[in-house]
Amino acid sequence: MVTKTEETELNQLENQVENGGGGVWEYLCLVRKLKVRRSELVLKHGLSILNDPGKRSSLGPDEWTLYEQVAIAAMDCQSLGAAQNCIKVLQKKFPESKRVGKREALLVEAKGMWEDAEKAYSILLEDNPLDQVIHKRKVAMAKAQGKPSLAIEHLNKYLEVFMADHDAWRELAEIYVSLQMYKQAAFCYEELILSQPTLPLYHLAYAEVLYTIGGHENLIAARKYYASTIDLTGGKSTRALFGICLCGSAIAQLSKGRNKEDKDMAAPELQSLAATALEKEYKQKAPAKLNLLSSALRSLKL
Amino acid sequence: MAEDLVLDTAIRDWVLIPLSVVMVLIGVLRYFVSKLMRSSPTPDAKMVKEGQVVIRARNLKAGASFIPPKSFRARRFYFSNEENGLLHVPKDQAQNPQAQMFSDPNMAMDMMKKNLSMIIPQTLTFAWVNFFFSGFVAAKIPFPLTQRFRSMLQNGIDLSTVDVSYVSSRSWYFLNLFGLRGLFSLILGDENAIDDTQRMMQMGGFGFDASKSLSAEKDGLDIIQHEWALPRFEHRAESVLRKLVQ
Repeated sequence: MVTKTEETELNQLENQVENGGGGVWEYLCLVRKLKVRRSELVLKHGLSILNDPGKRSSLGPDEWTLYEQVAIAAMDCQSLGAAQNCIKVLQKKFPESKRVGKREALLVEAKGMWEDAEKAYSILLEDNPLDQVIHKRKVAMAKAQGKPSLAIEHLNKYLEVFMADHDAWRELAEIYVSLQMYKQAAFCYEELILSQPTLPLYHLAYAEVLYTIGGHENLIAARKYYASTIDLTGGKSTRALFGICLCGSAIAQLSKGRNKEDKDMAAPELQSLAATALEKEYKQKAPAKLNLLSSALRSLKL
Repeated sequence: MAEDLVLDTAIRDWVLIPLSVVMVLIGVLRYFVSKLMRSSPTPDAKMVKEGQVVIRARNLKAGASFIPPKSFRARRFYFSNEENGLLHVPKDQAQNPQAQMFSDPNMAMDMMKKNLSMIIPQTLTFAWVNFFFSGFVAAKIPFPLTQRFRSMLQNGIDLSTVDVSYVSSRSWYFLNLFGLRGLFSLILGDENAIDDTQRMMQMGGFGFDASKSLSAEKDGLDIIQHEWALPRFEHRAESVLRKLVQ
């Protein structure tokens, strides 16, 4: 995760570079370090450095890292010619390198030749069966080909070995949600909450999945997780506020026939407070829609 | 006897400074040699998996209060169940880590290489210091010491009446040995600290003992009483919202 200071520094450098000031090399190094995805800018400015032989030689041994970075950015922007040139240069310099082999396979994948890419990746995997990046590329290929079940299979195999990789869990959760396999998605979000319990994003996503699955217990749990999101974000998460109102009304509907004791009276005022907070926020940010909101909230409160 | 001995400034010029310079140079040389000799480690699939299992189990322990009790129990069962739980190591398989270390030829070679690259320069430098720089007082330590340090610090000096604060060059060598670590991390970058002291400590604790850490995690998990923290969050959310709405 990128910290706030790093983000501001990145934006500063970006503005500087875009407006013609210097600092291109620092910008590229920062992008590389933070692993952010700014492919267009990297491509434009990286190519300008590489095509100028004076600037290129001043880079020294970092020239090859720049070639690699520009190649990947070019593939991301689908300018495959530039990518091919960069990779050719790298191949000439490092003929037997596995790292260059990975970039070649990436280029084949970018061109859309799936079987060839599959073969290339299998060969690379034979040499190094524990390479995380290659496994993730295979998952990405399956996803790009529109075969989410295959992607799920690959991801599960990957996670059997590398079970502490929370990015992989997150990807799996999103694929499950897109396939409407909500119970499995809930499991993945639980893993994410376990690894980073203070991140409100995961609480919110988990609450939404629980709400979608439905059922009395799940709704109560969903309400709790919406509440924890509100706590972690200091009340600023509009989605969580809406979530609490909706959960409250859904629970009330479900427990109409049941005994009143079953109802979870842990925080009775939570719903009304959430409604008030919502109205306040709408008044601030979107006063035109305030009437819509008020009527919707009124219809929720049975 | 508390008289002050006057030490020749030539000692400083010809002993202390050259000794430090030589040690820094040897350290830099060792760094580059070790970089050349380092064989790329081929990670073992089983060890990687075990490492990740331990991390996941630790996350489970840390975040247990955030997930519903049913899911926690399911996960705990998955980890520590008797038949095929991930953390469960059957007694006959718990290997002696030392035996494992020596039976694996690659690892033994690696350890030997690392040890050699550390021991040989140290021995050579020590012998050189002893040969050339012994028999005289090299420096005075600014704080007073007890008599017990005499044998360690005043090795070449055969007078027993000299104050223990006056030390021979051997102690300057040791001082440099332990103190140049900071300097090396500045010069050679953060990824390498030619950390003799750390390596010496590592030699004592033999490598990654997987089975012990797994069973430690299992015990840790078994102990936990699950307490779902989420109901508390509802109250906190209430108070947050109340403050917000005010």
